[in-house]
Amino acid sequence: MIAKHDAEFALSRAMRTGADFAELFVEDVESGTIKLLDSRIEGANRARTRGAGIRVFRGVETAYAYTNDLTAKGLAAAAEAAAAALGTAGEAPRISLVRGVAPNRHPILRLPADVPGKRRAELLRSADAAARALSPEIRQVSAGITDEYQRVLIANTEGLLVQDERAHTRLVCTAVASSETENQYGTESPGAQAGFEFLEGLDVAYLGRKAAKSALTMLHARPCPAGAMPVVIENGFGGVIFHEACGHSLEATSVGLDSSVFCGKLGQKIAADCVNAVDDGTIPNAWGSLNLDDEGTPAQRNVLIENGVLKGYLVDRLGSRRMGMARTGSARRQDYTFAPTSRMTNTFICAGEDDGDEMIATMGDGLYAAKMGGGSVNPVTGEFNFTVAEGYLVRDGKIVEPVRGASLIGKGSEILFHIDRVGKNLARAQGVCGSLSGGVPVDVGQPRIRVSSITVGGRERG
Amino acid sequence: MADYAKYEPILEMAKAAGFSRAEVFVCTSEAFSVSAHKGKAEDLRVERRSGVALRGLLGGQMGYAATEAEGEAAYAELVRAAAENAALLESQDEQFLYDGDEKLAWVSAVDGSLLAVSPERKIALALEMERLCKAEDPRIASGTTCEVGTTTSACLLLNTEGLRREFARGAAYAVADAVLADGDRQYEEVAYRFSRKFEDLDPAVIAREAVQMAAADVGSASMPSGAMPVVFSPEAARTLLSTFAEVFSAEECQRGFSLLAGKEGEKIAAPCVTIWDDPSDGLGLAGRPFDGEGVPTQKKAVIQDGVLTTLLYNLKTAHKAGKTSTGNASRPSHLSTVGTAPTNFYIAPGGFAPEELYAKAGDGVRIDELQGAHAGANPISGDFSLSAKGVRIRGGKLAEPVTQITVSGNFYRMLESVQAVGKDLKFGVPGASAFGTPSLLVERLDIAGKDE
Repeated sequence: MIAKHDAEFALSRAMRTGADFAELFVEDVESGTIKLLDSRIEGANRARTRGAGIRVFRGVETAYAYTNDLTAKGLAAAAEAAAAALGTAGEAPRISLVRGVAPNRHPILRLPADVPGKRRAELLRSADAAARALSPEIRQVSAGITDEYQRVLIANTEGLLVQDERAHTRLVCTAVASSETENQYGTESPGAQAGFEFLEGLDVAYLGRKAAKSALTMLHARPCPAGAMPVVIENGFGGVIFHEACGHSLEATSVGLDSSVFCGKLGQKIAADCVNAVDDGTIPNAWGSLNLDDEGTPAQRNVLIENGVLKGYLVDRLGSRRMGMARTGSARRQDYTFAPTSRMTNTFICAGEDDGDEMIATMGDGLYAAKMGGGSVNPVTGEFNFTVAEGYLVRDGKIVEPVRGASLIGKGSEILFHIDRVGKNLARAQGVCGSLSGGVPVDVGQPRIRVSSITVGGRERG
Repeated sequence: MADYAKYEPILEMAKAAGFSRAEVFVCTSEAFSVSAHKGKAEDLRVERRSGVALRGLLGGQMGYAATEAEGEAAYAELVRAAAENAALLESQDEQFLYDGDEKLAWVSAVDGSLLAVSPERKIALALEMERLCKAEDPRIASGTTCEVGTTTSACLLLNTEGLRREFARGAAYAVADAVLADGDRQYEEVAYRFSRKFEDLDPAVIAREAVQMAAADVGSASMPSGAMPVVFSPEAARTLLSTFAEVFSAEECQRGFSLLAGKEGEKIAAPCVTIWDDPSDGLGLAGRPFDGEGVPTQKKAVIQDGVLTTLLYNLKTAHKAGKTSTGNASRPSHLSTVGTAPTNFYIAPGGFAPEELYAKAGDGVRIDELQGAHAGANPISGDFSLSAKGVRIRGGKLAEPVTQITVSGNFYRMLESVQAVGKDLKFGVPGASAFGTPSLLVERLDIAGKDE
């Protein structure tokens, strides 16, 4: 992507002002989107983005500069802009890079760019037709495919020089169900860190029907009652609760600044005994997986919680310096316009042993969250909120009717102790997590779980 | 002036490839930012990005592509990708490139003083602001960070119809993110200012505001659920306005994603509600003399005294509706396609001081901050259910701080139930659009908290 001596020259310039470490990240990305609306292909765009970012460290002081100019001169200019933050220029040290080879756990079989646009259009049409066939109340369907093929080069002043490639493909189908006065929608959005072969393996008609069914259910649901109640959260995207309520607070970006509720709690109980959780960037071809993170550290499987006890944090290079802990293959960024920070990969609550039917039958009155929407968390206070995309009211242990407009709020540090059932049906689902270093693909996941009490926001009082 | 000649060859290549009309859009942006944390400048960023987008008409369809690579080979690939995309499309909308050549209302430029500010001065300001946070209250914790930055951007628009337009803007900003520790709890509040001139940023004012807000949160607790009058602070009201702004887009209406479709001329809000889209220079700093298609922008009321006067149109959506473009074609970067978006979009201030709104509310709650709007608000239905914090209003006066509650409602119904509008209009951080609102008193919304 760039010559070895250009990388060495840029890193050398980056070290002129007293940095103790410098790194270079170069990427060249081909990405495409195609969108269907009103049963027609209404949008198609392709872009090639490429750029380089240079980061310098002196202790925990960092400076980051990026540019699109990948010539030796352009890279050196960016290196000097970053270095200027640390002081005045002195001697430039000699840097020698040694080419390394990245492991490849996530093979890309078919590059998205090699697949004709017509094939993408066919897949979208099948999803559209299947969703519309379900009911005349499905008045609109939007469906899209996004694909991205990213080549990266990572070099640093420890001599590292590695290249890797990643492909992300995803299909999103949103069905809108409408009455005279109301719109409700349902969405399905599977993705993988894989080539176009992932999309060819999907049953897109099934996804279209599933999105439509969810929209129809919500159109005929009444508003959710508000108040504190037990909640059973289904597997798959239900794992967003753990992602928001706990995962973000285990990232070095908050732990390393002493601003996480989980600071200093390694080895301590932070969750109920039945809770085990991991962040695993090595799952083959999973949406959040990596061979190498964006600092060149191999991805790994990180145990976060074992039998309720906190076992580890997610640590990038800066976090490693701040916290005095080893890196965990967690440094990620959206693209070259962001410096990397500690982020999640595929993060989930592990399968437990509880029976899925029993946990509803014995919950009394509460909410069954069959499908979660998105959410967010403040890592300082640990306060989170997320929406229930498809919810059902439970009365006396029986699912009685769909409800909409529900949201769940609480504190991560508290809710983890209130998990009283963990089921067996672990599943993961795909999302794009937004944080300091931009949007990155992540899997969330869990089996069906029950929380003894959560504050449910809704439009009617219970 | 602008280097149009560098990009003319792309238009030629597009014509040679069979495009009947074509347009090149060039974006460059530069930024500098620094964070102060524990007395050190920790996170310094120097940014430079530029890219070129091509769009053009081939067989009646508008093909798009973009690249950040330069040179003939990269531009040939750009033209090829745009042609391939055009061939895939099945849109029934008629597409346009603008051929007007009106003189623009104002000439955009980056304030010269902004470019003269050295990195050292920005670093010093961030450090000073962090020091002032600590000086303001001994409980200020180590998680506190203060950021100072400047951004400039420029774009060029040229097409085969003779259009040649350029635009540049710049801003400086300062943000204090105060974390305050009291007992075993931490409280976080953010205050910020932005301006076209670096000299306008006063670190003492920003630091004090953030710290005082965090101090006011101490001891906050949830409250019992119920339906009650709500006063939204300018920040909270702005979160709702910016989240739901897309419902005013003609594009969203024509796609069936906004319930405002077909409502132009109808009453959709309380008579005290007027919303402006004002592209003038100044205000929220998202003004521009021409839009993403080169069409001159214009100031207009979108809601006037409760009546929806117009949606926001670009050339395509205006043609489809038998109207003229309102100059609201959006194109935030070379990587985006043309859509519709507001410029400086704000609720016109009314006559009430915030205290008068609390008095009118009687017993209720002031909402200061809403979280999770990207997930908990649904522009298709207008429903929202958002995590919030604020202050109880008791007997017409502010009382204890509250947190861990949700406020739920529907944006459309809320517009109808605004009872009074404050005079404290404030704009948020400008992006492609800027949003501003004063405080709003809303008749009744559902609050969920913890029942004792």
